[in-house]
Amino acid sequence: MITEDVLIGYVRTALPGAVVSVTDRTGTMDHFMIRVVSDHFKGKGLLDRHRLIYQALNEPMKDGRIHAVEIKTLTRDEIK
Amino acid sequence: MSDSIQTIEGTIKKEIQENPILIYGKGTKEAPRCGFTLETIQFFEKYGHPYTVIDVLNDMPKREVLSKMTNWPTLPKVFIGGEFYGDTDILDEMEKKGEVKPLLDRVFQKK
Repeated sequence: MITEDVLIGYVRTALPGAVVSVTDRTGTMDHFMIRVVSDHFKGKGLLDRHRLIYQALNEPMKDGRIHAVEIKTLTRDEIK
Repeated sequence: MSDSIQTIEGTIKKEIQENPILIYGKGTKEAPRCGFTLETIQFFEKYGHPYTVIDVLNDMPKREVLSKMTNWPTLPKVFIGGEFYGDTDILDEMEKKGEVKPLLDRVFQKK
């Protein structure tokens, strides 16, 4: 179990200024869909973008607060 | 004496080379034990190419070696033509950009 703002905090610590939206997939607060908009992704392929998110969430994933995440990553100009 | 890291790495490298589409996941093709593994199976069913599912649910040493090799902490892990492609989060995005079919056609043409 993890709250949305704690989860978002982890992402924004790794990617300052990122716009993060979180959806609880199963109502159990441990399976999430996370959408991250950040220019840190510029020039990075999909795999490396997702690796950034996994590294940011390494701790809560290792200790089980997060069981699964589905990730969407975009730069600012990709959302236009 | 559990397999050494080198033996496990060797096994993985062989499996990756021998299977054009390879899914390391939780459970088997007939009995997937995790939603994401099932989702990945359904993804490849659409394309009609043969694919292999290797169940690593209870093989922690192999899962750890796989995570280190790919710098990717989760399952399932997909390899196509010997290359790592993450999971359906990645493949769905690639599919939207029309990148999956040509990749699979290229991989299966070489066979």
